[in-house]
Amino acid sequence: MTSLDRTGPQNGQDPTAIRIAGVSKTYGTYEVLKGIDVEVARGEVVVICGPSGSGKSTLIRTINRLEEINSGAITFDGQNIHAPMKTRDLNRLRSRIGFVFQSFNLFPHLSVVDNVSMSPIRVKGVSRDVAHDKALLLLDRVGLADKATAYPGQLSGGQQQRVAIARALAMEPPVMLFDEPTSALDPEMVGEVLAVMKSLAKDGMTMLCVTHEMGFARDVADRIWFIDAGEIIEKATPEEFFTHPRHPRAQRFLADLRH
Amino acid sequence: MITDIVTIFQDYWLLLLIGQYPNGPLGGLANTLILSALSIALAFPVSILMALARLSKWRLLRWPVTVLVYVTRGVPLLMLILWSYFLVPLMTGADVPSFVTMLTTLVIYQGAFLSEVVRGGIVALSHGQMDAAKALGHSYLGAMRFVILPQALYNMIPSILSTFVSTIKDTTLGYVINVPDLTFAASQVNNQLLTQPFQVFLILAVIYYVICWSLTHATHRLERRITRRRAGLSAGRTAPVVAPPVKIATEQP
Repeated sequence: MTSLDRTGPQNGQDPTAIRIAGVSKTYGTYEVLKGIDVEVARGEVVVICGPSGSGKSTLIRTINRLEEINSGAITFDGQNIHAPMKTRDLNRLRSRIGFVFQSFNLFPHLSVVDNVSMSPIRVKGVSRDVAHDKALLLLDRVGLADKATAYPGQLSGGQQQRVAIARALAMEPPVMLFDEPTSALDPEMVGEVLAVMKSLAKDGMTMLCVTHEMGFARDVADRIWFIDAGEIIEKATPEEFFTHPRHPRAQRFLADLRH
Repeated sequence: MITDIVTIFQDYWLLLLIGQYPNGPLGGLANTLILSALSIALAFPVSILMALARLSKWRLLRWPVTVLVYVTRGVPLLMLILWSYFLVPLMTGADVPSFVTMLTTLVIYQGAFLSEVVRGGIVALSHGQMDAAKALGHSYLGAMRFVILPQALYNMIPSILSTFVSTIKDTTLGYVINVPDLTFAASQVNNQLLTQPFQVFLILAVIYYVICWSLTHATHRLERRITRRRAGLSAGRTAPVVAPPVKIATEQP
């Protein structure tokens, strides 16, 4: 996966799913991202890790333009997401990038099945019946078929996050982004969410995950990006990263995790 | 005293109910109900549009509405009514019926108040809801319609209700520009009787109380139904009982 030949775009056969080029972002004088240059290949699972405040979440949120950037470009589907464009085009691009939030952000006024089927109906114009059936399939996939009529407030955190994953998958995105999907969960619920993510990875989904779950990173990731103070200072396979981290900051980070 | 009230009621119930209709314009309780219903029915959508304009990133939309809201909220309703009653015909030369003047003024005035309630409801929601809607590809207005407003309006039901109730009560001010409503009818009755103002206006107070109470009651039922549905209780399954949301007591304007 990591050694894919990277040529330019060829009729949608571009092996690169996301290309982040020279992305910088500042809040006032504070530089959150300092010229990030990375690429994610199709089907690749990338885990982004790093200390808090390093810019991990900001980076992943810039990929579907929930955060604006000051310079650089993020290319997806052959288009720069941060180029000036009609909001309709931006919405269409966003609908093709699944996003899972740390705090789930389910819609509390809708039942679980409506949470999953609402966007295909309203954004893509899928018929209600088709969207509903698809939603039930997806809920079955994340192990929550029996919760279809429940409301988010009745579910545990782990269940809510699995619904959120199903909701993102309902738009059939070729890419999924996860922003600390397990950080708001009780420890005993982390496993059920990671299991769903693992099965997604096995099916060949292109995934970008900000996470502190090093076990997941070791088992599932094709590559790990270590980010510190707005710079990606280490890009490595899990074996390299966990056994021979090159950068001293990464070594310290891993040492701290072992406590 | 009670017999007085019963007698007044027997003699004047038709005047209180429909005014001088069919010999004159429709008035009395019927007109009050029509004016109230129209004011609420129009002020509500207007307030949502005003709230969205206030939250808009376009200054051309935001500024005029902000000014309108501030001015409207800072000026007594009675003054606005007199203003539109005297100024609109002066400036346009049009002969506007007092009912229309009253309705328009009420819609703008209560729309301005209500828009702040709606805006508060929208702003109070976590950013995550808008982020999630955007990430799924919803447009701004689509996110508002399907995600934000259903939650914001539900959360604001108590405040919205109190604005509705004060709208009903404010229809009485139509009296000063001769809108033939219930208050107008009651004062006609009082002018004929001359000696029983307490009894006449007690009847008036009771009728207004019943109207406002009915609206409050209906709204509470609606609110309970939504709460139960969102707690999954109407699905007929045993579900954990969710604590009712904390109600925010709001002062009435």
